[in-house]
Amino acid sequence: MIQKKICMVGVFGTGKTSLVRQFVHSKFSEKYHSTVGVKIDRKPVQLGGTTVNLLLWDIEGRDGTQEIQTSYLRGASGIIYVADGTRVRTFDQVFELRAIADKALGIVPSVCAVNKVDLVDTWQVGDERLAELDPTLWHALTTSAKTGEGVEEAFQWLAGAVIGERPE
Amino acid sequence: MSDHLPSGMTESPHAFDTLRDLLVGPERRDLEDLRRQLEEAGLTTEQIAEHLPEAIALRAARDEKLARSLAPTIEGAIQESVRRRPEKIASAIYPIIGPAIRKSIADTMAGIVTAINQAIEHSLSPQGVRWRIEAWRTGLPYAQIVIRHALLYRVEQVLLVHAETGILLAHAAAPDLETTDADLVSSMMTAIRDFARDSFQSREQGGLRTFQVDEFTILVEQGPRAVLAAKVRGQPPDDLLERMQVTLETVHFEFGDPLKQFDGDAAPFAAALPLLEERLETVVATDRREGTRWGPRVAWGLAGLTVLLLAAWFAWSTWRWRTAVDVLAQEPGIVVLDTDRGLRHSRIAGLRDPAAADAGEVLAQAGIDTRRVEFDWEPFVSLDPRMVVARATARLGTPASITLALAGDTLVATGSAPASWVARAMAATIPGVTAIDARGVTPLFPDAIVRLRRQIEDRQIQFAMGSSALPPEADSPVSGIATAFARLEAEAAELGYRATLRIVGRTDSNGATETNQQLSRDRAEAVGRALTTRGVATEAMEAVGVASSRPIVGGDPAEAGRLNRSVSFEVGLAPTTMTRGGLE
Ligand SMILES: Nc1nc2c(ncn2[C@@H]2O[C@H](COP(=O)(O)OP(=O)(O)OP(=O)(O)O)[C@@H](O)[C@H]2O)c(=O)[nH]1
Ligand SMILES: [Mg+2]
Repeated sequence: MIQKKICMVGVFGTGKTSLVRQFVHSKFSEKYHSTVGVKIDRKPVQLGGTTVNLLLWDIEGRDGTQEIQTSYLRGASGIIYVADGTRVRTFDQVFELRAIADKALGIVPSVCAVNKVDLVDTWQVGDERLAELDPTLWHALTTSAKTGEGVEEAFQWLAGAVIGERPE
Repeated sequence: MSDHLPSGMTESPHAFDTLRDLLVGPERRDLEDLRRQLEEAGLTTEQIAEHLPEAIALRAARDEKLARSLAPTIEGAIQESVRRRPEKIASAIYPIIGPAIRKSIADTMAGIVTAINQAIEHSLSPQGVRWRIEAWRTGLPYAQIVIRHALLYRVEQVLLVHAETGILLAHAAAPDLETTDADLVSSMMTAIRDFARDSFQSREQGGLRTFQVDEFTILVEQGPRAVLAAKVRGQPPDDLLERMQVTLETVHFEFGDPLKQFDGDAAPFAAALPLLEERLETVVATDRREGTRWGPRVAWGLAGLTVLLLAAWFAWSTWRWRTAVDVLAQEPGIVVLDTDRGLRHSRIAGLRDPAAADAGEVLAQAGIDTRRVEFDWEPFVSLDPRMVVARATARLGTPASITLALAGDTLVATGSAPASWVARAMAATIPGVTAIDARGVTPLFPDAIVRLRRQIEDRQIQFAMGSSALPPEADSPVSGIATAFARLEAEAAELGYRATLRIVGRTDSNGATETNQQLSRDRAEAVGRALTTRGVATEAMEAVGVASSRPIVGGDPAEAGRLNRSVSFEVGLAPTTMTRGGLE
């Protein structure tokens, strides 16, 4: 069985923990418990004939991007960057985080999940913003940890990418 | 020079050259070529590359010069490499350097360190049996009971973790342990260590090596590509990390390539499982029989104790002997002159008054076994007052009702005793006693004497008013008194007593005192004379007149007057000698 380390990266409150929870346990909670340090979960993912055991490192989000602890990224095979679609600033910060991670880790398969898409009323990240994401660098999609929209796809895509099934 | 050569040889210089050319021309040209080649030394890089290995081998075989000249360069190169890429070198030499260091340490420690590891399955000691019973009683597995009572430590789980990703490569667990989250544990542990390393800004490769979770200690041994972690219950021994290090080095050595190329597939590391399992262990403290060590210790201890007890006993018995001899020496009538204490028999010699206490009894009372003591007494008379009294007591057969005491050299007796004893005492001769004072003794007389005495003293002889003439009816009573007194005298004499008879004459209260005095006296004398005629010795009698000074009381005045016109009797009984010596 293949095991892969995946990191969840994004500023605080964007829904990293919620996405993992939805993906692994199919649960969602409105309550916000800010993550301290790192929380690790795992989920086996079926890909064709093989099973990939994803070890999901849900890293605490910080306010400023500079403070991110890059040591947690060590050895990661893929990264899911999470932005909060209702706070456009968090989307901007994704690019900064990406730069930091690339420097520390090198380029690895990445997903950019613009989360909380269920909150249509306060949505701030339009299609033209999403188009800023270079498709050769990351797989961009909108997700909702609440409804589960895009969640499976985000993880599945990354799982495939990290074991080299799909060209980037 | 050639000019001076003989004729026929005038052309010789040229001819010589020509000749030389003819003879060795081609060889000369070859030599010339060779020289040029050498001088140019224009060997191409390719040519060197072709010959270098052989050249080095050739030269190295010949002498050390090559090694010496290369050394500085190689040293420099290594230094540079270490400076720029330390992990490369470290990773390269890791499998070698560890064992080398450890071996040298192990060699030093080998003699000192002793392990106390005993497999629990083999424990058939009484304790082991007890635990088995407890296991059966509580329904818990035997192993758990042992762990509860005697666990030193137990390596329950061993994880081999990929250093970079924190992904679990292989893991071994104690057979009775359920483990499902080893992969999470592995990642979590890596995260914790990352966190610690970041928080404390530690640059070192090792980082957090031990940490505590509940009752567990997690020991972590860090290698360049993999980490070995052990979950230990109890107190892990110091050398456990060292043994983990050995395992980790072996893993690095045997799985060098899979580690380097690891991309998430842990399958190749299944082969490392036996290595990890080697590290699983349960070490309990069982009561070891240390027969060889305890035997002599107990023997020495007993010997020491015996010596101690003997010494104590000897000291004690000596002390007791001394005390007993002291007590004996204090005893009146005993003078200890010489003692000889032996292991089996002892001897005491000295002077002993025959009336003194029994020496054997005195010693026995002080706790001495007198069967082992021999006495050698010289008899003597002690003048110790206690002794004198004791002697008197013995010699006189003194009854318990009598108390004897010595005042100076007079023996004073008080109390009451049979009259016979008093008489005997007065007559006795006792060493150390010059006088006996028995005045404080009330003599007790035999019934016969008491009866006779009462018979006499109850009688009165009545007289007519104003007359001292014995009336005729007094004849019979006077005779009775004479007879009774004679018998009394005889009885008393037998006891060593002398009986005396005091005849007391009285008058009534009428008349002049002077006349009455005379009259009472006359009346007493009249009775005395009558008794003399009836055989009573005059020396035994005393006639006194008391007139009306000591009247006999009774009835009306007329009756009282009649009663007092009379004579009465008082019997005296005294030892033949009441006091001896200077006392009266
Ligand atoms: N409506 C809605 N709320 C969401 C969604 N995802 C997360 N939330 C809420 O947003 C808050 C923050 O979510 P978390 O998952 O804890 O965010 P996080 O990124 O883990 O935050 P840190 O751990 O502090 O970095 C919580 O109250 C969630 O309920 C979503 O998709 N839709
Ligand atoms: Mg969180």
